[in-house]
Amino acid sequence: MNHVPPGWADRFLEWYCSPDLLEDLQGDLYEVYYSNVDLGNPLRAKWLFIWLVLRSLRPSVIRRKQLHKNSILTMTRNNFKIALRVLWSDRTNTAINLLGLTIGMACFLLLGLYAKQELSYDQFHAKKDRTFRMWLKEDYGEGQIFFNSITPLRFEALMEDNFPEVERAVHYIEENHLVGENDRRIDEKVAIISPDFFEVFDFPFGLGSANQPFYNRNSVILSERYAQKYFGDEAPIGQSLQIDLYGQSRAFEVSGVFEDIPKGSSIQFDIAISTENGDELYGERMYQAWFTVIPETYVLLKDQGSIEEVKDKMQDVVLSQMGDASYGDDPMERDQYNIGMQPLTDIHLNPNIPLGYAPVSNPQYVFILGAIGLLVLVIACINYTTLATGQSLRRAKEVSVRKVMGASRSILIYQYLTESSVLAMLAMFIATAITLTIIPAFNALTGSELIYVFEWGHLAVVVGLVIFIGILAGAYPALVISGFNVISVLKGSKQAPGGLNVRRALVILQFMITIFLISTALLMGDQISYLMTKDLGYSYKTVVTARLPHDPEANRLSTLIPSGMQNGELIRAKLEAYPEITDITMATHLFGSNGWVNLAYRDPKDVFRRFRILAVDARFVDAFDIPVVEGRGFEPGNGLDERQSIMLNETAARYFGFEDPIGKKLPGNDFGEHIIIGVVKDFHYSSLHSEIEPLIIAQNIIPITQGISDSDFSDSVAPKLIFTYTGAQLSEAVDILEREWTATFPNEELSFEFMDQRIKAQYQEEARMNQLISVATLLSIIIASLGLLGLIMLVVTSKLKELSIRKVIGASPLTLLMVLAKDFIIQMFIAFALSVPLTLWFANSWLENFAYQISLGPGLFLVSAVVAMGIASIVIGYHAWRATRVNPIQSLRME
Amino acid sequence: MKGEHIGELEELVLLTIGSIYQEAYALAILEEIKGQTNRSMDVTAVHSVLRRLEKKGFVTSEMGGATQDRGGRRKRFFSLTQTGRKVLDDTMELRLNLYNKLPRLTFSALS
Repeated sequence: MNHVPPGWADRFLEWYCSPDLLEDLQGDLYEVYYSNVDLGNPLRAKWLFIWLVLRSLRPSVIRRKQLHKNSILTMTRNNFKIALRVLWSDRTNTAINLLGLTIGMACFLLLGLYAKQELSYDQFHAKKDRTFRMWLKEDYGEGQIFFNSITPLRFEALMEDNFPEVERAVHYIEENHLVGENDRRIDEKVAIISPDFFEVFDFPFGLGSANQPFYNRNSVILSERYAQKYFGDEAPIGQSLQIDLYGQSRAFEVSGVFEDIPKGSSIQFDIAISTENGDELYGERMYQAWFTVIPETYVLLKDQGSIEEVKDKMQDVVLSQMGDASYGDDPMERDQYNIGMQPLTDIHLNPNIPLGYAPVSNPQYVFILGAIGLLVLVIACINYTTLATGQSLRRAKEVSVRKVMGASRSILIYQYLTESSVLAMLAMFIATAITLTIIPAFNALTGSELIYVFEWGHLAVVVGLVIFIGILAGAYPALVISGFNVISVLKGSKQAPGGLNVRRALVILQFMITIFLISTALLMGDQISYLMTKDLGYSYKTVVTARLPHDPEANRLSTLIPSGMQNGELIRAKLEAYPEITDITMATHLFGSNGWVNLAYRDPKDVFRRFRILAVDARFVDAFDIPVVEGRGFEPGNGLDERQSIMLNETAARYFGFEDPIGKKLPGNDFGEHIIIGVVKDFHYSSLHSEIEPLIIAQNIIPITQGISDSDFSDSVAPKLIFTYTGAQLSEAVDILEREWTATFPNEELSFEFMDQRIKAQYQEEARMNQLISVATLLSIIIASLGLLGLIMLVVTSKLKELSIRKVIGASPLTLLMVLAKDFIIQMFIAFALSVPLTLWFANSWLENFAYQISLGPGLFLVSAVVAMGIASIVIGYHAWRATRVNPIQSLRME
Repeated sequence: MKGEHIGELEELVLLTIGSIYQEAYALAILEEIKGQTNRSMDVTAVHSVLRRLEKKGFVTSEMGGATQDRGGRRKRFFSLTQTGRKVLDDTMELRLNLYNKLPRLTFSALS
């Protein structure tokens, strides 16, 4: 007989089958095999054998290690039972651990959700991996760098025509336009998008079609909430909506309604019209322009990998297309006009690419929050580890008896890990419930917009977390406890509770994290209050601002600003009648908004100069109490001032190199007639993240704009009315403004703001972060205190006899206190010392975000040390003090 | 009575063990069932049922002598225990009782 059953299947059978069953099972399978071979069908016999071997692989057949013979399941059930009993019998400790773990987990889950939400921006687009946003970086040397993620209009055609790798390129533009009928016009953000926009992005349509969102150039699409806002319950399709496009009110027909755009999208709009209107909006020339930036351009590649090929070809295409385009007098050179692409999913958390239309988050903060969530969780785990290890002496006898009965170390470890996992599971249940209920409160407190949407994956995360924490927190105690020496324990000689040094290290680590968090929260709080209260160089309390309407025909800077200012004069005349309204003035930009008009030119010495410009009326400088350090301010009614006087800030005076600027002109050949009449003290007109830049203030900016070669701005240039209210009730000021506004501009919507709110809003993100960190700090303090409480109770119990004997011999209460607390005090100091460099490292890297920073003094560290030690001594103190009061007789008489 | 409940396949195997007394090892049982009921099973299923029955105490087993066509492995022969026999009797009785009621019920329902 030369046929034998396949060897590997046979060996597999022998490997898994329990030895008791092996012989006859294997025999039967052989018999089946040979009978099939005898029938003349060896191949069938072979496959049948393999099949039967695999089929025989059942739980009842599988061999078990001799030790585990009585089934893992049974032991697990037993372990669960024991775990619950142990947890119940030591309720104080269980409560402390449970509370700590619950808080830690809830904190971790919340911050984790927050971080995940930030990280999952724009992930819902099916073609996200192939979608890129274009950026443009012009670099002409000498710091003449223009970096923008808003691009020229011609990029769409440029990409589609010159790169076969590109499947589609689309435009996205955001502009504010007045929407609605004559008397009910609202200033809305209107998106202008390419008709094939939805081939790239997945925004599902409720009504209408994503393939053909617009019937023609007169179509408009709305989000569901805006369809509701404008048409209520009426069917929106086919309805007419008036949109005011640069002075011409046009009727648009609703051709589609898309679902409200989710929060996790960088692109946010509620009204969109087609770029087919572009000719009318921008004119044919703009589509040929290389230097005027208007839309964000998104590109969908056919293949994600071809991005490199596109990059390689880019410069060739640019140079071949540029033709005679040049910068200044020099022809365009290679690598001066750089076009790049940024992945869609990279937009939300990449602050290195300039802001387009979408707001961007700081990835540093996402990282900080994630790290803090993790730290708090670690503190909670350390709590469990130190307490459980400290308790190990109590379990010594139990462990020893188990060992004598034949329990192996691995079984014991398994048992203790079950214990910690059960606790982790309980904590996770509570923590999940808490997390889900407090999301609204969390949002209200921190000003974030966390939305919870259930995903099945979350269950896996939760279960994984339970097991992970169970093992992380329980591993060390399990090792210590299972390592007890049976004989010495049972003989009655007391071993010191295991791993004292490890426990000390863990407590130090825990306190280091807590002190670090306290310092961080204090640091951020300090810096934010510094930002909020720093003298900005002007007074802005109870200042009200309102954007002035301008002549709809005026769409160039030179006409728009005077037309807005003229309207401002109309309402100023009426407001002046109120004694509580003072310092009425106007300006093109407001304090607290970034992106003031930035102008640049090349001066006669061929130096590239950049500065910002602000158009104001004659009262501006006085209204804000901005000190004039040289020369004079504008004089109301002075015709010369209105036409050609300009003022500089100190930075500008230095920047242009003036010794004595008064009466001079800016260095440049093409400027119109102008004269410098004064220099104002530097004031912080934009946020304190950035340094003060050169600024020119003028009533008439035309002479200046004549001499410049480049301009960019991201803030609205429409003039704003600004006044200070000196009355008691701010609401009164709003009433007056609304009344007079309606009387003066019956058809214009009033949008007003308070300047102090606007200035505060610049530091909103930092303030929110500080709130979050403060909450996390508070929680970590609570958790660490709980741990400390458990530890001191433990120490008191184990040292009760020692204390009593000392007392009998005559120790003072203070000595006794020292005996108990000495260890903790030393650990605290070490933790504090270790936290200082950590905090310094963090402080330095975080403060880099600000041009104006607080200086780090020892005060900060002192305060956090005092806070941490104060709390610790309160926690320790009570129990220690009670221990010193114990009657020695009671504790010594017990045996 | 939970422990004495047996399933249909278990019952069939028990009966077969009883009927081919002294020759009852897994493959023989399989063959017999196949011959009697034309029901095709694989040997794994029979093994699994046998282990269950043995655990419940309805059958006992002992190893027989080695044979060449099994690669020198011994057979495990099964035989009914008292309990096993009793379970079979009980099951049969239960069925018979129910079955006896069947025609009367049917007729009365018809008339």
